[in-house]
Amino acid sequence: MDLFFNLAINGLATGMLIFLLAAGLTIIFGLMDVLNFAHGGLFAWGAYSGVWIYDISGSFLVAILGAIVTGLLLGALTEWLIIKPVYGNHVQQILITLGFMLVLSEMLKVVFGPNQKSAAPPAYLDGSWQLGDVILIKYRIFIILVGALVYGITYFILKRTRIGLIVRAGVMNKEMVQSLGINIRLVFMLVFMVGSAMAALGGVLLAPYSGVIYAEMGMEFAILAFIVVVIGGMGSFTGSLLAAILVGMAQAFMAYYVSELSLAVNMLLMFAVLIFRPQGLFGGKGEAA
Amino acid sequence: MGRSTGIYVIIALLLAVLPFVYDDRIILSLVMQVFIFGIFAMSYDLLLGFTGIVSFGHAMFFGIGAYSVAIVLNQNEATLFYLLLGTLLAVAVAGIVSFIAGVLTLRLQSHFYAMLTLALAGLFMVAAEKMRSLTGGNEGFVLMVPDMFIDTSGPTLYLTCLIVLVVFFFLVRRFTQSPVGKVLMAIRENEQRVESIGFSIMYYKVIASMISGIVASIAGVLYVLSLQFVDTSVFATDVTLDALLMTIIGGVGTLVGPIIGAGIIEFAHHWLSDLADVHWIFKRWIILFGIVYILAVIFFPRGIVGTLQEIWIKRKYKKQQGKEATKDKNEAAS
Repeated sequence: MDLFFNLAINGLATGMLIFLLAAGLTIIFGLMDVLNFAHGGLFAWGAYSGVWIYDISGSFLVAILGAIVTGLLLGALTEWLIIKPVYGNHVQQILITLGFMLVLSEMLKVVFGPNQKSAAPPAYLDGSWQLGDVILIKYRIFIILVGALVYGITYFILKRTRIGLIVRAGVMNKEMVQSLGINIRLVFMLVFMVGSAMAALGGVLLAPYSGVIYAEMGMEFAILAFIVVVIGGMGSFTGSLLAAILVGMAQAFMAYYVSELSLAVNMLLMFAVLIFRPQGLFGGKGEAA
Repeated sequence: MGRSTGIYVIIALLLAVLPFVYDDRIILSLVMQVFIFGIFAMSYDLLLGFTGIVSFGHAMFFGIGAYSVAIVLNQNEATLFYLLLGTLLAVAVAGIVSFIAGVLTLRLQSHFYAMLTLALAGLFMVAAEKMRSLTGGNEGFVLMVPDMFIDTSGPTLYLTCLIVLVVFFFLVRRFTQSPVGKVLMAIRENEQRVESIGFSIMYYKVIASMISGIVASIAGVLYVLSLQFVDTSVFATDVTLDALLMTIIGGVGTLVGPIIGAGIIEFAHHWLSDLADVHWIFKRWIILFGIVYILAVIFFPRGIVGTLQEIWIKRKYKKQQGKEATKDKNEAAS
């Protein structure tokens, strides 16, 4: 039983990290019809800048804030430099964002050096609690709580505030929103920045969880995030949370029982969704426009 | 068509003579890599340039080709027969995988094919790492090749690569000029319109996906012959990115462009790596290419060959207009 709990918590923690990456991806896609292949690069930048700030300041909280600021700034830069020139052209968008991903991950090697870096959780999050037979590793619980918090706050903003209303309306019909006198381009930029910040937060949280960070991890996690977005439904926020937990769980359990199949299982999930429900489990969009 | 075919044949013949008159082995094997990646980039162009499909996992077909031949040769004797058998296996596996990827995602928006191929390539890479008994895992393995290809910088392998490149170039060009090729280009231009005329888009897109995958696997076969070694790096995203860079920089939808792009990237890679001793920034030469690539996507989406063609056609058109104008004037005067 304790094994089951441990694996479940492990899977939940991984799922939350993937969720942080996938949520930004899916909202940006829903609103702007842009699939950002550079999203994983923002994730890796969050991890590297966070670890760097942590080494300097010694405070994990400052590191998290620093990573979020990095994400916001890089997001603004990406939207302005890379996405803006190619609105409306899918093929160009896909091509250019992948190119930017390449530049982002190579820049990581230039700025922080080509070798992988190690990272450890702060003392107060290190170690574990013992609850009967079940061992709860503090840092994993922390990730799950942060993920739930981010989900809660974002959900609240989307559903209960005016800006959320505008974003949701924009996802449904951006021309209509624009014709009501709202600067949809500004909304795009803000959403892009928030999405990037979430990815960067995911990155900095991952660093002490996996122990090492390296430039290629952006791409690895981006693949998982794409699988999540397909399973959950493009543009569906809650869908991305549930699918991320599903993928995280599948990853954790398969890695323990049949480690060869952990990626394969997620691929099979994605295949099944693509065959039987191409719009995703929770999505309405996704059919060829 | 007649004149351009003639020019291509002459260039091919000049390249065929090269190993007999020029014996810098490093440059010759570099030219051979250009042939191999030319085939690979050309297969990518068939998807991106002629059909408008973006694949981010093209490396997997390259890797399928490389591993199929390597494993078949490694498990059996290194003879020409097993080389051909391995090539057949490569073609079959690449055909099946590209069929599955196409059927699953090509009816959806273009993002889906890109994502699925990216993920599939990742899956193949993991599979190659885990199936150690067959693939040797991360370290890969050195393999024996048929005797005639043992000298990796000798003329036999060089000529084989050149011949395969030329044959596939003309085959693929013939394909793009065939009725099916015309439909593919029409799909690239306006999918809805082609569908409303009554073509089954899915069918044509899957054909493009399969042919592209199969040609890419052939490039993988030649690649493994030229290295006599295989490891998991053939499945890496870098390989796909190479094909992307070559195609975009050379010229999307031109077939010749990607081959020229392959030449530029391979030689630039070679020289920029040499410069790494001068300054460490050249080790990260890929950044330079990434930036060039991004600028190309925004400002020169047609690449080198496409942009040149555009200029050429414009000039020809202007000349024609000028001629007609003078003719009109003359007629008016008389």
